[in-house]
Amino acid sequence: MSKTSEKIAEFIESHPTLNTCALAAENAIKKPVFGCQDCGQCILSYTAFTCPMRCPKEMRNGPCGGTRADGHCEVYPDRYCRWWLIYERAKKLGRVKKLRKLQKPVDRRLEHTSAWLNVFAGRIDPPSWGRE
Amino acid sequence: MLKSGSNLEKLLRAGHFVVCGEMGPPQAADSASILKKCGYFKGYVDAVNLTDNQTAIVRMSSVMSSYFALQGGVEPIMQMTCRDRNRLAMQSDILGAYAAGIRNILCLTGDYQTFGNHPDARGVFDLDSTQLVQMVKKMRDEKKFLCGDEMKQEPRMFIGAAANPFAEPFEFRVMNLAKKIEAGADFIQTQPVFDIPRFEKWMNAVREEGLEKEVHIIAGVMPVRSVKALLYMKDSVPGMSIADEYINRLEQIKDKEAAMEEGVKIAVEIMTRLKETPGVAGVHIMPVMWESVTPRLVEEAGLLPRPVAAEETEGKEQGTMCDVGCRM
Ligand code: SF4
Repeated sequence: MSKTSEKIAEFIESHPTLNTCALAAENAIKKPVFGCQDCGQCILSYTAFTCPMRCPKEMRNGPCGGTRADGHCEVYPDRYCRWWLIYERAKKLGRVKKLRKLQKPVDRRLEHTSAWLNVFAGRIDPPSWGRE
Repeated sequence: MLKSGSNLEKLLRAGHFVVCGEMGPPQAADSASILKKCGYFKGYVDAVNLTDNQTAIVRMSSVMSSYFALQGGVEPIMQMTCRDRNRLAMQSDILGAYAAGIRNILCLTGDYQTFGNHPDARGVFDLDSTQLVQMVKKMRDEKKFLCGDEMKQEPRMFIGAAANPFAEPFEFRVMNLAKKIEAGADFIQTQPVFDIPRFEKWMNAVREEGLEKEVHIIAGVMPVRSVKALLYMKDSVPGMSIADEYINRLEQIKDKEAAMEEGVKIAVEIMTRLKETPGVAGVHIMPVMWESVTPRLVEEAGLLPRPVAAEETEGKEQGTMCDVGCRM
């Protein structure tokens, strides 16, 4: 990200009220729409806009070995496996190749912070918007 | 150059069809049972998996039981799950394991804690299994901890990961394998095969991508003693696929002893099929609480005697090792 965006992020983060508002705005959209779990290092653009952090094992690179034949989760049989959903949606949206990216370990310090500001500040990789 | 120098690595690199065994550590503070079980494996298999609180039930740690396995004269494959430890604990266990002589590690996600005997526990899942593979590779190849700090003596582990050819989403499973290879997996162990057509379909997809040339694929085989075990897996173990043929064959047999014999026969049949499947580098025999059947299976599948690894050829002769049949 550019110097300007870093400055903007720095400015917002140095003002607690602005910072809270930014996080609230992000949550207001991402929680209901994507089921965001607030990890602060968003990879939705790589995972077909389906949050992998709702997986009980928080798998960020792919499913565990337990996905059921009907696509449901081994832990919660009444829910879909997140990675089954991710793969189905990626096929529909033409974003399968993006699943191939190796996702690094979660930086626990960024949990419950704004991923948007973290992108601006250059703390996390920028999203990958384009279709394949 | 060899990455770890383990027996498993040497045999795979020389192009041998390998045989792995598996034992569950005791639910007690007692090493005698591990040493006793080593007798079922010595001379019959090339390495043995030591499970890490399998099915989320507390047992002796896989690190310590791998150490006892070494003392018992078998080469361990230490399993490590992401369920019980964070990245600090994992790295420190890996350092200790290497120092104790352990050379193979299998990186797993781990069964969810609510399935085990401490369902009220907190699951850690600080890393996922792919990230764990990457971390071990970084420690080994870059001599660095995950944080980037350097270390003097690196743990030279032969790194394994799991693949499940039978669970959904089927097509993504091959990409998932490719990711684990990129992360640093040297060998792969699969879920037990009870559905040959499905396994072969997966292997076809693997070969189409040429992945079997980048990693050694070791296929799982689970001998069962009764139809009950098969039905249980079919109904209650997510991500398994059991062909009806095996269920029918075992169902017809009422006598307990005869059913056991049929179970052995089925396992041997599957092993023989896997041996003929292009791209399969070995089998991993994983009997549940029935380790004693291992020698018989290996013998009946015609996999005896086990090959002896040639001494490591350092320096100028290095190239010739690869000509013999190295798949890396
Ligand atoms: S089945 Fe899917 S959602 Fe459930 S734990 Fe495994 S990867 Fe996560």
